Amino acid sequence: MAKRRGIKALLLNWRVLLLILFLIGSIAAIAVNGLTYGIDIGGGVALIAKPDRPLSGDEVDGVTSSLQNRLNTFGLKDISIETQHDPETGETLFVVKVANVTLDEAKSIKALIESQGVLYMELDGVVFATGGDVTVYSSNYGLDLRSPAPRWYVGFTLSGDSLKKFNELKKGKVGWPVDIFLDPPVNSLIVVSDEVYNTMQDFLGEPASGTPKPLIQRISEAFNITVVKYENQSAEELVKNATSLGKDKIIVADLPEELYTQIKNEVLRSNVNVRVSYYVPQQGEDLKGFVARILHLYGPYVLSEEVVMGDSNSFQLTGGAATKEEALQEAKRIYSVLRSGSLPTKLRVISEEYISPTLGSSFKKQALIAGLGALIAVLLVIYFHYRRWKIAIPVASTSLFEVIIILGMASLIHWNLDLPSIAGIIAAIGTGVDQQIVITDELLGGSSARGVSRRMGLLRRMARAFFVILASATTTIVAMSFLLVYFVGTLKGFAVTTILGVLIGVLITRPAYAEMAKYLLSLE
Amino acid sequence: MATKKSKRKAPSSRGIMNQKQKRLAFLVDIEPKKMILYPLVVFVLALLLLAVHPPDRGIDLKGGVVVTVYNVDASPDELASYLTDKTGIELHAERFHDPINGITGIRVYAPADANPDLISDLIKARYPNADVTPRVVDPTFGKIAQRQGIKAVAYAFIGMAIVVFLFFRDLLPSGTIIFSAFSDMVIALAVMGILGVKLTTATIAALLMLIGYTVDSNILLTTRLLRRKEDTVEDAYLSAVSTGFTMSTTTLGALIVLWLVSTSDVIDSITIVLIFGLLADFMNTWILNAGVLRWYIASPYRFSIKLRRGS
Repeated sequence: MAKRRGIKALLLNWRVLLLILFLIGSIAAIAVNGLTYGIDIGGGVALIAKPDRPLSGDEVDGVTSSLQNRLNTFGLKDISIETQHDPETGETLFVVKVANVTLDEAKSIKALIESQGVLYMELDGVVFATGGDVTVYSSNYGLDLRSPAPRWYVGFTLSGDSLKKFNELKKGKVGWPVDIFLDPPVNSLIVVSDEVYNTMQDFLGEPASGTPKPLIQRISEAFNITVVKYENQSAEELVKNATSLGKDKIIVADLPEELYTQIKNEVLRSNVNVRVSYYVPQQGEDLKGFVARILHLYGPYVLSEEVVMGDSNSFQLTGGAATKEEALQEAKRIYSVLRSGSLPTKLRVISEEYISPTLGSSFKKQALIAGLGALIAVLLVIYFHYRRWKIAIPVASTSLFEVIIILGMASLIHWNLDLPSIAGIIAAIGTGVDQQIVITDELLGGSSARGVSRRMGLLRRMARAFFVILASATTTIVAMSFLLVYFVGTLKGFAVTTILGVLIGVLITRPAYAEMAKYLLSLE
Repeated sequence: MATKKSKRKAPSSRGIMNQKQKRLAFLVDIEPKKMILYPLVVFVLALLLLAVHPPDRGIDLKGGVVVTVYNVDASPDELASYLTDKTGIELHAERFHDPINGITGIRVYAPADANPDLISDLIKARYPNADVTPRVVDPTFGKIAQRQGIKAVAYAFIGMAIVVFLFFRDLLPSGTIIFSAFSDMVIALAVMGILGVKLTTATIAALLMLIGYTVDSNILLTTRLLRRKEDTVEDAYLSAVSTGFTMSTTTLGALIVLWLVSTSDVIDSITIVLIFGLLADFMNTWILNAGVLRWYIASPYRFSIKLRRGS
């Protein structure tokens, strides 16, 4: 009876209640948000790129949004671009992480980052402007408020020769298509299925007079891109075809993956310098969108009568969307595409790490087993020291609770768990167990060999235990905060989880453990 | 019922604590001056070792290419010679084993100027089922990471030193704690050099973790010796050592399990550094720092200890 009342009192103790609340909250957070993993665990590619000169804040923004745009053409979902500023050298590093990619996609991503984005505007198979000729002003985009349906616009100006060229080209071409490309696959051979080939014959605009050239012809004339239909040619034939035409890229689109592998092996075997890439339509992607993605094509836009007749140097791209939000979104995207065409700098990838998604999942399993193993080791060693489960089980389970709460917090702030983060969790657990032992020994140490210390009350012993805990927690947090602020590399996760773990330990789990230990030990 | 139980069991646990303390009692018999001397000798030896044979920098600090290959039926030598043939670069390959997933893999190391794409394509061409994961670090990034690693350790160390000093406000005990932490790191680094564990961002993280563990045990000892006024210094020392012994063996147990289970290069090297760092810490806290404190408390010349409470 007394025992039961004890348990009730223990459970209603605010320190224990707090622990229980945090535990429930963490489990809920993990259930709702899930855990996100860093590239080194979840699989994917992490690239760190360095600009060839220090950039201003505005330029950093430009590079970031341009990278985002250009990477979007891969149709990947989990792209994150972080910038890390080194206060000492003034350098900015761009950390690009893309989850769940194949090795070949990873290679293309690297190539894309290292190539400077080039914008082309093309009409009737002639490139009339490139990035440097196009100027966009930061305020010159938005929603077209005169139109009843949601419509967006982006304004830009052309300068010098490009304007002259455009004025020549546009004569009598009302309704003809104008294409904008960002990083098109210049000088390549594209092998496609029938459907894709037929779709590429389209993209004709709404010509008022005359017949515009089909897209296949336009890109062939403007960019030396040759599109061929796949009619059971062998890999060898295709590679020969590409080399005889002097191409440096082969793109396989909407065809079986075997063909792509065969072509790649053929390229390696015959030792020619040709890059091979592979595209398949994604779920819900229409063929026109797919074609645009392969070619990195925006538009086509259509020449209006105003533009053809007028002689101004400023123009507008416009388009419709389902909602105002989408229209504004699109305007922003096109605005940053136009801006991307003339990046202030080149980027060089200085660190690259690729982990295949299947390997990533085996890491997860391993981390789980290693963690459980460590927990069992803690349980057994503590039992060995005190010879009672009444101490070993609470210590080990408090550690487990601590891990759960750290993970819950991580899921709440959407922290990506990478290997350094996991090392940080291990560190926090290690100090956590140490501090629980300090508490336990202070509780048990009431009578020493000489039996003198009985004079010292429980409260004072606890105060001493918490002095030790507080002192070591403060040092760890201070040391790690320096790391968090000054370290630009990949160790940030280590600092974050260590600090999180130590804070949770001092504020939540340690006080609750002290209550539990007091209860369990006084029962004996 | 509760009272019955307590009569039967309570002495046993204290008995165990006393037993443990008796087993460690030999530590009390060492003269404080000798307690200071031995760890200092180890520290100097470690410094010498470090000067002669510093740990190698891993590719993330030096730059280079590592291609990890899973699911491949080849010996490392076979793979290395095939790749050397095709690329004309001197490569070095090693096998490793993952006991949990039962997968065996090979790591291929190449210099920083090697083309990782070509290497992985070549592997894929000959072994189509191979799972290839390249990692490339440019020497310029290695330099940045290295500079920041040094900075991180230095700042963390300084931060720790300031806080320790603020907590104890007494030059000698705080100085010893700071020195212990430093000596732990030096010894861990020396062991890394001997065992061929490379200095990487992960092992830098481990050195930082070491700062945390060192401070824990040292603060415990210093607090027990300086703040526990009701016991003799020997009793306080023994009870602190017995607590510290439990702390260190528990952590070591967990680390050894981690080391056994994991095949991740990163986790393995972190645990190795921590295991040796903790062993060094055991010596530096319970022998060196304890020696200094015992000598300090016994010294007739000692200047006032500024405790806020209890004295």
